[in-house]
Amino acid sequence: MTQGLRTEEFLVNMGPHHPSTHGVCRFLLTMDGEVVVKAVPYIGYLHRAIEKICENRTYAQCIPIIDRFEYCTSMSCELAFCLATEKLAGIKVPERAEYLRIIMVELNRIASHLIWFGTTSLDLGAITPFLYGFREREDILDLYEMTCGQRLTYNYIRVGGVSRDIPSDFIPKTKAFLEKFPEKVEDYVRLLNENPIWMVRNQKVGVMSAELALSYGVSGPALRASGVKFDIRRDDPYSIYDRFDFEIPTGTNGDCYDRYLVRLEEMRQSAKIVKQAIEQMPEGEIKTKVPTNFKPPKGEVYSRIENSRGEMGVYIQSAGDSKKPLRLKLRGGSFNQLQVMPEIVKGGKIADLVAVMASMDIIMPEVDR
Amino acid sequence: MNRDDLIKYLLENHPGKIELLDTGKVEPFFALNKEYLLEFCRSIKTDDILAMDFLCNIAAVDTGEKLEVVYSVASAKNRIRFDFKVVMPYEEAEVESVQTVWAGANWHEREIWELFGINVRNHDNLTRFLLPDDWNQGNPMRKNWDAPDFIRMPEL
Repeated sequence: MTQGLRTEEFLVNMGPHHPSTHGVCRFLLTMDGEVVVKAVPYIGYLHRAIEKICENRTYAQCIPIIDRFEYCTSMSCELAFCLATEKLAGIKVPERAEYLRIIMVELNRIASHLIWFGTTSLDLGAITPFLYGFREREDILDLYEMTCGQRLTYNYIRVGGVSRDIPSDFIPKTKAFLEKFPEKVEDYVRLLNENPIWMVRNQKVGVMSAELALSYGVSGPALRASGVKFDIRRDDPYSIYDRFDFEIPTGTNGDCYDRYLVRLEEMRQSAKIVKQAIEQMPEGEIKTKVPTNFKPPKGEVYSRIENSRGEMGVYIQSAGDSKKPLRLKLRGGSFNQLQVMPEIVKGGKIADLVAVMASMDIIMPEVDR
Repeated sequence: MNRDDLIKYLLENHPGKIELLDTGKVEPFFALNKEYLLEFCRSIKTDDILAMDFLCNIAAVDTGEKLEVVYSVASAKNRIRFDFKVVMPYEEAEVESVQTVWAGANWHEREIWELFGINVRNHDNLTRFLLPDDWNQGNPMRKNWDAPDFIRMPEL
């Protein structure tokens, strides 16, 4: 009966226009039936040469471009770039501006995790969490809109401070949001945490050991889910993060489910930081005067922050006599998270690839730049 | 380990091989010879006191006179971070791969090979990456490379 029958590996192209690749990414999969034998990611579909463009712009003109580097957390990207530039030029930022930055960045982290929460559950077949996540994110976008007029790419954080002060109803509205937000997170917990389908699709899927994660430079929630308690906000504090009291959630198994739990807890912690920042925020100046003809001294710096997808690093080299950076290199967390994926999905089902990609929170513009 | 201790420790352990650059920033910045690169990377990774287990970034730079490759490393365990770089003339655009030390260096090195034309010795997969597969117009991140519709902003 079985004589003459044989099995054979075959190739499948997943993407570039696959809805669950979050951008435009292509996987060339070698399949044995439903099992992935080998996965090779192909990137570059969203390469916009941001770094080359920035070499031809002044420092102030770079900020709107860097917004597009990773549009889910534009505020963090601006902050990373401004911190690097300020480090290079030795600029001190006024107190109030520091607090405004923290409030914006942490709200941005919540918004980004909400997108992740929505799209991940959508990828795995749940529609309702997507609507819930976007409902809460809308409140945060409203807060941004009333502050700087933009909902996605803000150009709000500038070298030396922020572009404008918050309107008078910002604080009450943020407080109202923080008041109701923990209840909403509880809703998410009730929806998904013990949902049988969610558990089967996520538990023991895409397991990443701490050693593997570290050697591939994986950072952020994905690294912490593997049990490494490393958060740049605490271990290499920038801005004024040493003044706030917050916890760093970690996982134990390093699977998709742990990455989900870590992100859920991070949203709660971010809300806690925003609450503290609002209470501590002083009155005063919001921007240090930076000359129009701003030329940082000769030098180079690599500065990093904790973005919602891991370490966001900015390397700047300045020639000293130019208004434009000699070299600007952006490092996003997704770049390394995507690089480690072939190792994790090997030997799993093709459906698990979707779950792993979603749980890593990869966003392609950040990979391609 | 604070900044001064770290500098002292590294200079003592690699005498004559690395040079401290005076950038005046928080993290120390070293320059080293490219022949010594791989050995240096291995030693800072396996050293118990440093344990630089995390490669943050590799950035190549074309300064207009020479090429540089800048490595930013960190230790998740010991909370240390510093940078080091190798400098080379255009004619010798080549570095040793460090992916045996940090597996994550793979893509960073593909990128500097593709965009800067810096050859990476002993790299297992130097293939087209960010650019189209049939790209034949050179290395776009070099300073002497301009796209046809690229207009350079004048220095004001």
